[in-house]
Amino acid sequence: MKKKNLSLKEISLEDERFRISYYFSLEKLILSIQKVSGWKRVLACIKLGMSSLPVFVTEEEDELKTFLAAFYENLATREFYLLEKAEILSRLKKFGEDEKKIVQRYLPLLDIPSTLSNLESYLAFSRFEPELKRIIHEKNMPFSSVKLLAGYNPQERKSLLPLLLPSGQNRMKEILEDLMEISRRNDIAPQKILSSKEVLDIMGHEKLSPLQKADKIRFFLKKKRYPALSSRKESFDYLLNKLRLPKTIVVKPSPFFEEENFSVNFSFGNSEELKTNLLKLQELTSKQEFSAIFKLK
Amino acid sequence: MSKSEYFPQKIYVEKKSFDFPLTKRILKNVGPVPREVIDDPQEVLDDIKATKDIIGEGKKYLLITRQKGEFVKPCPCTPGYLGCNYFILNIDLNCPLDCSYCILQHYLTNPLITVHVNLEDLWRQLDIFLHRKRLRTIRVGTGELGDSLALDHITGNSLHLVSYFRKKRNAIFELKTKTVNIKNILKIEPAPNVVIAWSLNSSRIAHDEEKGAPSVEERIDAARRVSETGFRIGFHFDPIIRHPDWEKGYEEVIKKLLETVDPARIAWISLGSLRFPASLKAIIEERFPKTKIIYDEFIKGKDGKLRYFKPLRLELYKKIVGFIRAWGGEEIPLYFCMESEDIWREAMGWVPKGEENLEAYLSFPLG
Repeated sequence: MKKKNLSLKEISLEDERFRISYYFSLEKLILSIQKVSGWKRVLACIKLGMSSLPVFVTEEEDELKTFLAAFYENLATREFYLLEKAEILSRLKKFGEDEKKIVQRYLPLLDIPSTLSNLESYLAFSRFEPELKRIIHEKNMPFSSVKLLAGYNPQERKSLLPLLLPSGQNRMKEILEDLMEISRRNDIAPQKILSSKEVLDIMGHEKLSPLQKADKIRFFLKKKRYPALSSRKESFDYLLNKLRLPKTIVVKPSPFFEEENFSVNFSFGNSEELKTNLLKLQELTSKQEFSAIFKLK
Repeated sequence: MSKSEYFPQKIYVEKKSFDFPLTKRILKNVGPVPREVIDDPQEVLDDIKATKDIIGEGKKYLLITRQKGEFVKPCPCTPGYLGCNYFILNIDLNCPLDCSYCILQHYLTNPLITVHVNLEDLWRQLDIFLHRKRLRTIRVGTGELGDSLALDHITGNSLHLVSYFRKKRNAIFELKTKTVNIKNILKIEPAPNVVIAWSLNSSRIAHDEEKGAPSVEERIDAARRVSETGFRIGFHFDPIIRHPDWEKGYEEVIKKLLETVDPARIAWISLGSLRFPASLKAIIEERFPKTKIIYDEFIKGKDGKLRYFKPLRLELYKKIVGFIRAWGGEEIPLYFCMESEDIWREAMGWVPKGEENLEAYLSFPLG
């Protein structure tokens, strides 16, 4: 390596072959800058208005070796985001690294279990559309959800964006999982489900917020994915509604109606409130709707 | 994998396992299969991990090693549901068949077909175990972490196990298989406390989901041949799987079974619907992308495993119990594997009072 003082104009930011860092805050970096030897730091210097900076210029012509130098430098100093790992693995493959070596050597370095299947998943992530990558990063989507996204084609992923954007991690996963499973079970393309009248009606509803739309579609998919369970829940809620319980008393079935028992919860602040709740509960036992609940077991 | 007898592409013998009689027997029985003595199976495992289908790749190789822990263990069953007080012998691990729903894909960390060869330790541990349980009748089997007969043409273990258990009258020993690998069984004198059992399913599930396994008809025919030698036989409808026309599919198999074998020779039939830990789902999706069995209405049960929503399970069980009773199996002891008391009550009409009660119910026909 040769040490040089290089004008910042001579540093190409268009050549991203060896770029490792994609997701960072430049502002934080500017405060701590002392010297330049990497991608983020060049950007920081430009923003600071510097015209030149001292650099080490590599004479290495082998792209893989050059990339590995950048990789190891970053590896020693920080953790990588999920999509950065995907980019690193994609570059290693592109620069000719042996697939078996990537699995056995580099996946463990990136804290990824060393299987070919994991490598293939990350390579698929690296091919995602830029807009989707941004959302994955911003939402800090976990591997399991990103892997679900890889099961969709680019057009389907684009259609999913309005549902993913307002949703939290768990809801996103539910939407992605239920849609894919309905599609596989019923042999219907996800796009066809997303273009169904029910979905289009919800998406076109003017008074609903993006979050409300995403939620309504999530419920629609859940009902399609679990028809018997959803119908059982609806029957239970219907009966409960007819009982006109005070808000202080909550009757619940066991999770997924798996156990025979139901539970009743209520709170009270004094003996009078306790007595009122108990009397109300006693009244319930004589109601027909209450007996009907037990048939839902 | 062909439906004929399994032979590995290569055998790895752990160095310290080389001198055991079972090792020598296996190496003789496999003929010209390449073999390599290794210090540590991890070397082989590292290479397998770099392949696309680790589980499928592992089935190509046989590892000969020693059981360093206990051979005899209580069947893990599942919390929150009724157990059947079964004990398992871990001689072989893993299975050359490749059923899409197989729990071993999730359960075993070593994908190689593995045989433990230190049988002297097995007999010693079994002596101690059966002595401790001498006041009870214990049900023991080898078919939990592998198929009991899939490797029998290579190991010959069935001959030794039947000989051992013949003399242990407080044990009921079960060999459980999906294969028709019964050459050794047909050669030996039946023992009243040994049951040879087959896992059965509808023909459609057997064809679509049980890769490498013989057809249901072949299994039933093998059971008939074994029962005619004097052995008692057992059957396991497990996992029962909902699929289009499942009622017809299961009724046809049950009818065929009870027309082919004498119901009086059947020691028991167990029933269990498809259930699996959530982490197995991802493995099934990746290894069997065409299967749809995991996309039915599964809920998280009391044990955390995914199982059919209860009304769907109950419908399956009621129909299948009805088919067995209707086609001549009125007297056959039936039991559920990992089910709740209310399912027992509604589908069977009774609930065992604990594991020992169930144990007595299943031991009764053997006298």
